[in-house]
Order: sequence, then structure tokens, then C-alpha cells
Amino acid sequence: MLYKKKWPLLIFVLPGILFMLIFLYIPFIENIKNSFYDMTSIVSMPGLEPKYIGIDNYKTLFTDPKVKIAILNSLKMMVLTVVFEVGLGFILAVLVSNIKRGAQIFRTVYFFPVVISATALGLLFKLFYNYNGGMLNQLLASFGKEPVNWLKPELAFIMVCIPTLWSYVGFYFVIMLTGLSDISDDIYEAADIDGCSKFKQVFYITLPMMKTVICTCITLALTGALKVFDLPWVMVPKGAPQGLTHFLGTYMYQSTFGVNNFDYGSTIAIMIVVLGVVVSKVVNLMIKERD
Amino acid sequence: MKKKLLSALLATAMTATLLAGCGSKPAETTAPDAASTEAATEAGEDTAAAPTGEAVTLKTVSMFGGTDPNASVYEEIIAKFQEENPNVTVEDSSAVADNECKASVVADFSVGNEPDVLQFFTDAQATNLVATDKLVSIEEIRAEYPDYAKDTLETALAGVTNTDGVQRAVPTTGFSEVLYCNKDLFDQYGLELPTDWDSLTTAVTTFKENGIIPIAVSLNNIPHYWIEACILYSAGLDSYQSLPETAPAEWVAGLETFKTLRDMGAFPEDTDTVDNDYVGELFKSKQAAMQLDGTWYAGGIEDKENTVAVAFPGVANQKAEAGTITSGFSSGFYITRKAWDDPAKRDAAVKFVMAQTSKEAVSAYWAKGGFVNKCATEVSTTETLTPLAQSIADVNAAAGNNFAGPIDSRMDAEAFTNIVNSICDISTGSASAEDVLNDALALSASRVAAE
Repeated sequence: MLYKKKWPLLIFVLPGILFMLIFLYIPFIENIKNSFYDMTSIVSMPGLEPKYIGIDNYKTLFTDPKVKIAILNSLKMMVLTVVFEVGLGFILAVLVSNIKRGAQIFRTVYFFPVVISATALGLLFKLFYNYNGGMLNQLLASFGKEPVNWLKPELAFIMVCIPTLWSYVGFYFVIMLTGLSDISDDIYEAADIDGCSKFKQVFYITLPMMKTVICTCITLALTGALKVFDLPWVMVPKGAPQGLTHFLGTYMYQSTFGVNNFDYGSTIAIMIVVLGVVVSKVVNLMIKERD
Repeated sequence: MKKKLLSALLATAMTATLLAGCGSKPAETTAPDAASTEAATEAGEDTAAAPTGEAVTLKTVSMFGGTDPNASVYEEIIAKFQEENPNVTVEDSSAVADNECKASVVADFSVGNEPDVLQFFTDAQATNLVATDKLVSIEEIRAEYPDYAKDTLETALAGVTNTDGVQRAVPTTGFSEVLYCNKDLFDQYGLELPTDWDSLTTAVTTFKENGIIPIAVSLNNIPHYWIEACILYSAGLDSYQSLPETAPAEWVAGLETFKTLRDMGAFPEDTDTVDNDYVGELFKSKQAAMQLDGTWYAGGIEDKENTVAVAFPGVANQKAEAGTITSGFSSGFYITRKAWDDPAKRDAAVKFVMAQTSKEAVSAYWAKGGFVNKCATEVSTTETLTPLAQSIADVNAAAGNNFAGPIDSRMDAEAFTNIVNSICDISTGSASAEDVLNDALALSASRVAAE
């Protein structure tokens, strides 16, 4: 009876729809429009009409070597997030769920980096990596070693990935731990009685029963990897060194607000959305096929 | 019935909450200042036909805000101005000249919320504002107020001519780009201060051998001064002041100096990843020997006894005369059409700009900057200058008429930023200086053609 009349529901949904329309869909359509114009200002200035340039920005997108670097880095980051964030989160969750004492301490310790702002973490690691007097080089100096430029082209991507991945392990750890708590202890007890080792229990009980949670985590990690921005931007702004650590998010920001190339920034933003939709669709398809 | 009423109330509350942020007038509880500003502005509009002497609210925006060293002088002048003009209330919204500030000014102009008086850039960065035709020319103001900007030197006024060739702004102080040297380090290693390319390379090699960073610069952040100096010296003053359609060989050679210097080990090991503040600290803490920067940088140098400034020494096969510098004025005070067309505000706006740009005001700005900046009026001081300030004065005096404003004051901002962002690649040889310059010049030319 409560849902016989549908129109009251519409009233409740309307604010949300309006919100999405004003702050998401209209700007997105505006963004698509901007990508076809040469914009010299972020806002429309009287007396200065943007010039229509057709698909020039899209042509540039396919020839821009920095876009290639950004896409490759984002794809590498996707793989790394699945392996290190979801993988490590799972391993830590299994380990913590098996200990009798101190589980709460581990939960806090592993989750702690998630609550620290990415900007603060970025700054912290920037200080660790500093060539002149950074923490790592001070340690090397105490052993009488020469300082290392930790952010040189050969090392920079790995050094940026380390804190980016580390800071989110705790997030997946907590999700996995919640998933683990839903598995009945009876199953593990039965396995124990049957002589199944702890190691085998993980493969034959935990993993199959955690499948939906793991799939959710993988989807979150893959789409999240496309949005990586704040931590790399603080540590190595403008994709330093030499644009080698650009991700799609940092390159879009750099193009839009660093170079003031608003139209090209819009084009990159559209590419990120398209990639995000494609990635999530592919992941969903893969998960469904397995089911 | 009660349920329906509750549902309707909740839905209304949710919609109202959502739409609250869309109102054109800020809520009084959250932004009382904005509300009072609007009320005051309305009051000003009501008195549009009122004679001079009635209450006027003047909205001003400047780049002398926050941590800017000029902020205190600017505020003191405002306080004095209000004392002398009790009918005028100045509502100032100043901020440091960063991207946020620039975007905010542009946004205000685009929606018709421009201030009455604006202190802003006058070079290519003001092109968008100039295009709106909302800034009044000095010629138009002088037709009614012949004494407007009477203290300002004509050369200074010419220096802040907008990109369309019209003079609108009145400047206060300008800048020169000089090479700061830690003289104590030069003395320690028995080196002369660099005066040409050969002495510069000798200094670089000697410092490098002795574990001192020869040149403090962040190629990833602010290589601007080196771009300017290398092109100026390689191409010569005339070519530097032009904006060619394609890159002349001398401009290309100038940018290729980055690779030569990098190969010599002139820059910090981590020059590709650090920022300008960091390399500034390297210089100030004597870990680096030289730094090329604007005269505004001198204020932050603590050791003013052992730090001296020299003109950029030069590059290989240079065309510029020794002692030539990048120098000029890049900002000034504008009066907007909004204030000019309002009879109640016109007089107040003119008086305000004259107060901020008078000889007395410029002297105060000059003193606050440590007597090192270029001045738009005649200035003098009885104070004894520090060796650093004196060396900057000597560089300016020696340059005489051999100076020019930077390329980024003539070139489209996006085009120049593309050059800046390519410097790391040019210095490693992974990008061609010629291609980078040609792309930037073509973009700049296309923007000018579109205007």
C-alpha cells in the first residue's frame, strides 16, 4: 500500500537528480563542447569568443607523447593496485583474522595511512626522497654511501608508486576483514577436523567465499587507479622528472590549470571518463563470465 | 495524512537545502561581509547622480595581498586615503598574485562583477581583461583629470602599455632580472664574479669540482629567467623584443644553452623534480653559488653583505651587449569602466589611484622592497644601501637603455608555458629547441590573429 502511489517517491528523488544534473551532467556536456573550441579563458569573456577548432584536440591527443606516458603509467598503476593494494589487503586481512590477540592494534595500524591526507603523505615522502638531506640519503650517509637521486628518471615511477599503493592497502584490508567476518567459523572448524591445514583453508574456503568481496575490491582498485592525482602531484609536480610520472589525472590538471589549455584539458577529461567506463565494463564482464 | 504531510515537508526541506547554494545573494549568516558589500554597493548606485562628497563605496582588488611584501604599504596608503576622504569607504579584496587570484579577477570581469579599481598585470596576462573593454584608458582619464599619473615617468607608463597598444594602467615599481652570486664562495675558490660566458663556465667547472652546486635553478618549476636571459643574450636586444613567426637560429641556440650547462653539471642533481623555493634555500644556505632571479628576490636574502648581483654574464656567440638586462614594469593600477561611468565613484577612483601611484607612495613601495626595484617615479633615499642593494642599483645603472621586458609579456601565456614545460626535455636533448619554439610562436601568432 505504501508504494501504491509512485509520485511521492519522485519528490524524494528530485533533489538528487537536480544535484547530479547541475553539478555532473551539465558540466560534462559543457566539457565535451569545450573540447571543440580554442579557449583562452576558463570562463566566457565578453568580447573574446572561443574559436571553433573541430577535432584538433582529439588529433593532438593521439600524437601527444605525454598522453602515451600518462596512459601507460595509469595502466601500470591499475595492475599494481590489484596486486599490491587488493592482494596485500587480502593477505593482511587473513593474517589478522587468524590471530587471537592484538587484532585491533593491527586494524588501526594498517588503516592509519588511509585517514592521513594524501597531501601530507606526499610531502612526507618528498622529504624522505630529497637529494640534499632527505631521510633516505641521510641513512646512506651514515653508512658512508654517496647520496642517491631517488627521483631520477629510472627510479621515479617506482618511488611514486610506493606511497601511492601503501596508503590504500588499509582501505582494502578493512573491506576484506569485513568480508572474512561473514564466513562462518563452523566451516573452518569442520576443515580443521578433516585435517585441512590453515594454508589450504585459505585456498579452498576463504578465497571462494570471498569472491564477491574481492571482485568489488578489484573494480574499486582499477577505477581508483584512473583517478590517481593528489599524492603524485605533491611529490613530483608536473610529472617530474621530465613528465615521466604523469598519470591521466595529473596530466589533465597540468594541461588545464598549469598550461591554461582548458580545451585540451577537457579532451583529456573525456578520455578519462571513456577509459573509466570501458575498464569498469570489462571488469564486470570478466566477473560475470567467471560466475 | 500525517505521513503525507511529513513526506511533503521532508521533500521541501531537501529541495530547499539543495537550491540554497544556487542563490545569487550569499546567505547573511554565512557571508555577512558579502551581504554588506552588496548593500553598500547598492547604496552607491542609488547615489549615482549625487555630487562629490557623499558616501561612496570603492571596491578595489590588488595583487598586494597575503604575504606580498607590498601589502603593508598598500594598506597604509588605503588607511591614509580614507582619513583624507571620509566619504569614501574602500572595500579591498587583495590576494597574492597566484593562479587563483588571476582566475578570480578574470571570473569577476566575465560576470560583470569587476571592481572599481584594479591593480593587475599589464602584459599578455591582461589580454582577456583588455578584450572586455571594461578598463579606461589614461588618455580618457587625463581629458578630465589632467594631473592623473603626473608623478609617473613617461617611460614607465610606456612600459605598461597593454598588448593592444593602449595605456590604461599606472605602475608603481618594476623589476630587473639579475644573477645573484654568493661572493664569499667566489672568494673562497679564487674566482672572479662572472662577466661573460667564459668566466661563467670557469665558475661552473670550479664549483662543480669542489662539490658546490654552481647554479640554483629548478628546470621543472621556474626556469623562466634563464629562458629570458639565454634568448636575450643569444639573439640580441632587437630580435629579443620582436615576436618572430618562426624561431630564429639565435633563439634556438639560446635555449640550447640549457643542454650545454646541464652537460657541464651546472644545475642541481635533482633540478628536474625540485621547486623554486627549494633551490632558493640551496642558494641562501651557500650550497649553491649563483641564482638568476628578479629583484624582488633580494628581500628574502639574509646575507646582504656577501651576496651581490651582476648582470647575466652571457652565452656563447652572444649578440647582446654586456650588461643588457631583462627589466620593466608588468603591473599597474586600472580604473574600470564601471567606476568611471558612475559620477559618484569616478572622482574617488581617480584619487585612489593617484594616492597609490604618487611619488610618495612609490617611494614607500621602493623602501619596503629594500631599494632594489625599478621605480615608476623619481625616487631618492638618504639611507646607506647594503652591498646587495648597491650592486643591483649598479646593474640597473650600467644597463642604461639596454633593457627589455620579458618574452612572456609579449607572447601568449599558453604558448610561453609550453616553452617553460619543455625546458627539462630540451636540457636533456629529448626535445628539439627549434620545434618547441616554432610551436609556441605559431600558437601565439594564431591567438593574436584571432583577436
